Amino acid sequence: MAGDWPQVVTGSLFWEYRRILLSGLFVNFYVFFLAALLAVTMGLLACLARLSPWRTTRWCGTFYAELCRNTPEYVLLIWVHFVPPLVLSLLLKTKVTFSPLVSAVVALGLASSGYFTETFRAGIQSIPRGHVEAAHSTGMSGYLTFRYVVMPQAVRKMLPESLNQFISLLKSTTLISLIAVPDLMYQVSMITQEQMRPMPLYSGAAIAYFVIILSLAALVRRFSESWRAVGRA
Amino acid sequence: MLQRIIWNNRGEFLEGLLVTAQISLIGIAVAMGVGLVICLSRMYCRPLRCLAILYIEFCRSTPIYVQLMWVNYVWPELFGWPQSFFAAGWAALALQSSGYLAETFRSGIEGVARGQREAALSTGLSPFLTMRWVILPQAVLMMTPSLMNQFLVVVKSSCLVSVIAVPDLMYRGLRLTSIWFEPIEILSFTAFLYVAIVFALSAAIKSYSDRVRSRYA
Repeated sequence: MAGDWPQVVTGSLFWEYRRILLSGLFVNFYVFFLAALLAVTMGLLACLARLSPWRTTRWCGTFYAELCRNTPEYVLLIWVHFVPPLVLSLLLKTKVTFSPLVSAVVALGLASSGYFTETFRAGIQSIPRGHVEAAHSTGMSGYLTFRYVVMPQAVRKMLPESLNQFISLLKSTTLISLIAVPDLMYQVSMITQEQMRPMPLYSGAAIAYFVIILSLAALVRRFSESWRAVGRA
Repeated sequence: MLQRIIWNNRGEFLEGLLVTAQISLIGIAVAMGVGLVICLSRMYCRPLRCLAILYIEFCRSTPIYVQLMWVNYVWPELFGWPQSFFAAGWAALALQSSGYLAETFRSGIEGVARGQREAALSTGLSPFLTMRWVILPQAVLMMTPSLMNQFLVVVKSSCLVSVIAVPDLMYRGLRLTSIWFEPIEILSFTAFLYVAIVFALSAAIKSYSDRVRSRYA
């Protein structure tokens, strides 16, 4: 069995199916963008809840963030895909189903929103209290303080960490093939079933993700270094 | 309802938990061994440095699911191993973590102040003794929290091995769902178990690392 090395190196099968595989990669990025949008929105909401003056709201925010962070993505994905539609069906007395794409976006968005909550909170809380008090005492309103004093500094602080979160989100989009969203891994497994030659395809997929994510991570590193430099200056 | 489905199947859930625990522990143990070797060859063995960096970057930037599929389908053809799903499962978990752990070890070792090493060498300790008695004790203390966090990551990603039919907690949950057709109770309970385990582990890790930090830093 161990004589198939050239297949991996040339990756001819991977090249033969490049169009389907590229469309799969496109689905990956599509889900990534939608999930990232959801994650940032929910992360902001939960972060505001965690910073609110009322204890109950704070507690809800913390509970939400911990729940999202501590559930494995795959478990959340399966749960979102099967349980809420059934509960809704029981409540509304009609049949409700989520399309795999919707479940994928919701599950991955929720899973990663927990991390964003923490990132945003850490960013905002890292602004010294004195800045807020100084802004208030010069007569700036709460909104103006947040917009012109807290936000510019906080964003700079949380940007590197958020970019890393985006990369982990992109990595976890590979899971959506498990609920039959036609992403790259899904296409790979379909072609494997047709061709019965898993080696070049799965190796090709691994190499493709490796190259994409490594270059994105390098870009992020570059960006965050220059952001940090700006912050120091 | 709950009693019929959850309590009567407690054996299944317990066995699943056991498999999850086994595969996570084996995975992190192998990852520590491999990670240490990779880290040492990156730091102290010039000719292997490039290979070690490539290995680390590959492990860290490939999604765990892709690695799992790759190990499960490609390794048996290339290397004739692993021959069981269980082995493929822990090998994939170890592959992912060994890259992260190699970097953890490196930053731990490099985090020990240079002067410590120089002082030890100048008092006549051999490089091995310096490593054993001066650098490692301090480095281990500093990297324990990230090591434990990596274990948490392994536990979280271990649910993916159910995809290749390793009978872990998630696999049992899905199988019970397809037997009983009660996804609401069974899947929610499975998810609850995962959340409870991961939450308990992360709380323990946090309190431990806070204690270490307050005592030594």
